[in-house]
Amino acid sequence: MSVLEVRNLEKRFEHTRVLNDISFTLEQGQALSIIGSSGSGKTTLLRCLNFLERPNGGSISVNGETLFDANDPATQDERRIRAKRLHFGLVFQSFNLFPQYTALENVTLARELLSKANGSESKAEIRDAGRELLAQMGLADRASHYPHQLSGGQQQRVAIARALALHPDILCFDEPTSALDPELTGEVLRVIRNLAEQKTTMIIVTHEMAFARDVADRVIFMDGGFIVEQGDPKEVIDNPKEERTRKFLANYARN
Amino acid sequence: MLLTVTVTLLEGFGTTLKLFLLTLVFALPLGLVISFGSMSRFTPLRCLTQTFVWIIRGSPLLLQILIIFYGPGLLFHLPLLPRFTAALLSFVINYACYFSEIYRGGIQSVPRGQYEAGQVLGMTPSQIFFRITLLQVIKRIIPPMGNELITLVKDTALVRVIGVYEIIWTGESFTKKGLIWPLFYTGLFYLIFNGGLTILFRKIEEKLDYFK
Ligand SMILES: Nc1ncnc2c1ncn2[C@@H]1O[C@H](COP(=O)(O)OP(=O)(O)OP(=O)(O)O)[C@@H](O)[C@H]1O
Ligand SMILES: [Mg+2]
Repeated sequence: MSVLEVRNLEKRFEHTRVLNDISFTLEQGQALSIIGSSGSGKTTLLRCLNFLERPNGGSISVNGETLFDANDPATQDERRIRAKRLHFGLVFQSFNLFPQYTALENVTLARELLSKANGSESKAEIRDAGRELLAQMGLADRASHYPHQLSGGQQQRVAIARALALHPDILCFDEPTSALDPELTGEVLRVIRNLAEQKTTMIIVTHEMAFARDVADRVIFMDGGFIVEQGDPKEVIDNPKEERTRKFLANYARN
Repeated sequence: MLLTVTVTLLEGFGTTLKLFLLTLVFALPLGLVISFGSMSRFTPLRCLTQTFVWIIRGSPLLLQILIIFYGPGLLFHLPLLPRFTAALLSFVINYACYFSEIYRGGIQSVPRGQYEAGQVLGMTPSQIFFRITLLQVIKRIIPPMGNELITLVKDTALVRVIGVYEIIWTGESFTKKGLIWPLFYTGLFYLIFNGGLTILFRKIEEKLDYFK
């Protein structure tokens, strides 16, 4: 059974159709890359999966449970969305760390709030887990720094630790390195590569073609809100079948 | 003589201070309610609130004091409000509108990504408000709030038009005896009080300086 199954997802903003008939599956421990030109709907897709946008059609299932189905109002209850969100984690392009909290507090806050509700873990346990995650990101010595005292690459790694702290089934990245100076992208990509080696189930929207090709198990190429081509990353990126994929990649190589 | 003047001025300053503090007690929360109205997604409520704020901010406070004091009697043959109550009511309404705009600016300046980061971490709207946005809003509204409070202290002098005797009126009463220095002395009260406010707000700003 697939971890994630997306069926015929549709999203419209007023009269523009931003996602059309998006269907794909993701297996446990796989990394999926989504590539495509600006405006092709990549961010909107991730936002739909994280319930930041409500799709107009289609369904989303995780581990066989239907989290959203446009035809089934019972799956759209606002009060249950919060729990459903926890199946997914999202790392934003612009980090969105909480400025008034230290790196460690950013990582632990949500888990502390959750365990306050169901009393499962002690504060100390949560803090230890948070420290461990920061260490895994290579930030052990930055735990008590505030976001404005960190570089962009460090901030993004804190954001990744923050998302991992809730143990999402699927971790989503929206162009995690495109807000970074070129010399800082490496450290963030390295962390994501490590996660892939540890078989973290991930969806990575990226413009780093070489990274997508090497790290992902599968790749999806989107254009105009459609999935144009999907498959093995080396196949798709080295030998694209579709004309539009070829054009996009050729454009890419030129820049 | 200095003692008599001091005692008289202190009495007037008591009224000033009472008006200042009571205005804050009522206008700070009321301003928050008004700011929610002016940001409402329900268009009629938003338009109504914004029009009200425009009227109150666009017309002189002095005029509002006079209308609230004389209006009910002349329009509806109601008994006059006690003078201090009328003064307080006009200040609360007026300052709540100013505060609401400050709150609105502060709330809207928190990036949408902050709310969304909280949402995807499974936080409830109230957790997002209290744990994430509130402190960021406070940090942003402290400087304009400081300005507004200093203006409020000075505006309290207006209530003399409906016979509420605040400190400037008491200071002026000594000119009938040919004395000018009590007026300067009055000014000193304002300077010291506003100096204190300035220091207080600077302290709060420094306290919140640990994040950006
Ligand atoms: N809230 C919104 N309201 C209206 N239109 C929107 C909204 N969000 C996105 N769109 C539109 O949807 C389309 C897809 O946007 P999206 O951000 O998903 O693209 P993207 O593939 O992530 O692009 P980029 O590579 O530039 O990040 C664009 O045409 C965009 O203008
Ligand atoms: Mg995008």
